[in-house]
Amino acid sequence: MVHLGRIGRWAFFAFIALYLAIPMVAVILYSFSARWTSNILPDAYTLAHWGEAFRDERMRNAFWRTTWMAIAVLLLDIVLVVPAVYWQRVRNPKIRVFAELSAAIPFVLPFIVIAFGILKFMGRSAPQMLGTPLIILLSHAAIAFPFLYWAVDGAMAAANVGRLNEAAVVCGASPLQTLRHVILPNISSGLAAGGMLVFATSFGEFALVQILAGSRFENISLYSLDLLLNTTSQVELMAVLTILMFVVLFGISVAVVYLNRGREGGFLPGSRALVTEKNE
Amino acid sequence: MTRSSSGGVSLSGISKHYGAVRALDDVSLEVAPGELIALLGPSGCGKTTLLRSVAGLEKPDSGRVVIGGRDVTQDPARKRPIGMVFQSYVLFPNMTIRDNVGFPLRMRGASSDAVRKRADELLALVGLSEQADRYPHQVSGGQQQRGALARALAPEPEVLLLDEPLSALDALVRVRLRDEIRRIQQMVKITALYVTHDQAEAMAIADRVAVMNAGKIEQLDAPAALYDEPATSFSAGFVGNRNALELPVVNGVVRLGEALTANAPAGSGGRVVAFFRPEDVHVGQGGEAATIENVSFQGLLTRLHLSVPTGGEPARLWADLPSRNAAGLQVGGSVPVRIDANHVRIFPAE
Ligand SMILES: Nc1ncnc2c1ncn2[C@@H]1O[C@H](COP(=O)(O)OP(=O)(O)OP(=O)(O)O)[C@@H](O)[C@H]1O
Ligand SMILES: [Mg+2]
Repeated sequence: MVHLGRIGRWAFFAFIALYLAIPMVAVILYSFSARWTSNILPDAYTLAHWGEAFRDERMRNAFWRTTWMAIAVLLLDIVLVVPAVYWQRVRNPKIRVFAELSAAIPFVLPFIVIAFGILKFMGRSAPQMLGTPLIILLSHAAIAFPFLYWAVDGAMAAANVGRLNEAAVVCGASPLQTLRHVILPNISSGLAAGGMLVFATSFGEFALVQILAGSRFENISLYSLDLLLNTTSQVELMAVLTILMFVVLFGISVAVVYLNRGREGGFLPGSRALVTEKNE
Repeated sequence: MTRSSSGGVSLSGISKHYGAVRALDDVSLEVAPGELIALLGPSGCGKTTLLRSVAGLEKPDSGRVVIGGRDVTQDPARKRPIGMVFQSYVLFPNMTIRDNVGFPLRMRGASSDAVRKRADELLALVGLSEQADRYPHQVSGGQQQRGALARALAPEPEVLLLDEPLSALDALVRVRLRDEIRRIQQMVKITALYVTHDQAEAMAIADRVAVMNAGKIEQLDAPAALYDEPATSFSAGFVGNRNALELPVVNGVVRLGEALTANAPAGSGGRVVAFFRPEDVHVGQGGEAATIENVSFQGLLTRLHLSVPTGGEPARLWADLPSRNAAGLQVGGSVPVRIDANHVRIFPAE
């Protein structure tokens, strides 16, 4: 590796920070600008766009729709993935191949291809589903679950779930009790990291919503595109929207990092122990 | 804390295969109520598999498991009246020691007052009261195993199963905790199966020791009997750090020069294996002249590695003698050795 001096390191850091920050700063400035001509900063500032954005019912609806959908997708994926991975690890390692293959699909196929596949399939088998929130929920859950799968699988490996499970079983715990009192608390960091990715995937998703529901389920991405296509004067609104999305996702990431600070194994006190254990 | 009495364990005809590997071969074992039996044997002989079959963590291909008079062969592990301590610490890392100990009771729906009372009682029993509110990673390995023991005892199981509970600990802690486990087991009067590959540990802790080899129990005896009277050549070789010499039989007599003369057991062929402990080799009291190959001072005792000439390949053996009698013995020197025939166990060579 190239060895940078102290100054070099700071310069490098500053460059990266600027590179990341400038677009955000520009968007923020833009959202407050009354007029922005050829100067480096806006000619005049206003709160009008923010006011407009919050008054705009269409936008509020889009934001709300997107948020609850992302939460629903997250919950559905947790309910599907966690017991499945647990089962695979403690009872039936053979389903692993199947699980890993299906968890690889969304990484291999572009979302747009998946969307067309679902469209074709549903068009033939259940056309009345198209355009409903349910189809969005199911398809988002399907494309986002691998993030949770890999994160949870890794966390379970690190927490040595097989051994924890046996210890719980000989204590008389049922599978559900084991999952709730022993497994979940020890994989919480993986759950949080994977869950965040699932949330973000649904939150910013465009292709599936566009193809499977279109204007019948206008989420933030669709709404943003509409703003861009319609009139130039709406671009400031778009800036407001971008900032809001950023704040939501950034807020969640910070929360995840904060909750996991200094811990390898999980949120809860003590959950680090298994990770640092040297046995076997 | 004291209880009426825990039941016994009765295993009959337990077999278990993993593919072509025969981990357990028609094992039967009766553990009396309140008795501690150590399962002793080399790595891979099936100790863990047998213990896990009792626990219900492994499903044997055939055989019956009866605990406290109840046939539990078909019951899943969580329905069996057992408590188990594993080799590596598996206290739940997300719970304090006290919550770990109370866990089996909470899972059975006990009230939180009752759980706490019983947990504190057990923590006092295993000497962990002061660490009750710590998390497992905040206590030592030995303390974690004490916690695991308390947790296993919490629901008053019929039988306590321990799978090499001390093997991850260092020697000093190991001996102390071993005695502690024995004390608690006797105090609670619980039936116990204790897996170990350490013969000293098995002898020290058990009422009876089951020596296992290749999926079978070779011998089941009290420690002293096992030590003095190994029933098979495997137990003779495995227990007591014995010398093992393969010797020819001539006219029904086994002989190593002037050092040993003994009758061959009935049915032995042309060759036998003679097992004898190093303290039963007498040095400097007549017998056959042996060459000293090595002298190693071990405190109270000194161990000599000796080579006794025979017709062909010399016989190599070791002898332990009190260090005060070993003064003046030099490597390369020659001493007369004699093996006490009363303490030699002879088995047909395989
Ligand atoms: N899950 C398994 N799959 C395949 N073979 C196994 C499995 N568990 C145990 N065996 C085999 O069964 C035999 C007995 O194993 P077991 O673990 O009972 O031995 P052990 O006496 O406990 O040994 P150790 O002292 O090393 O713990 C061994 O040959 C082992 O390789
Ligand atoms: Mg074992």
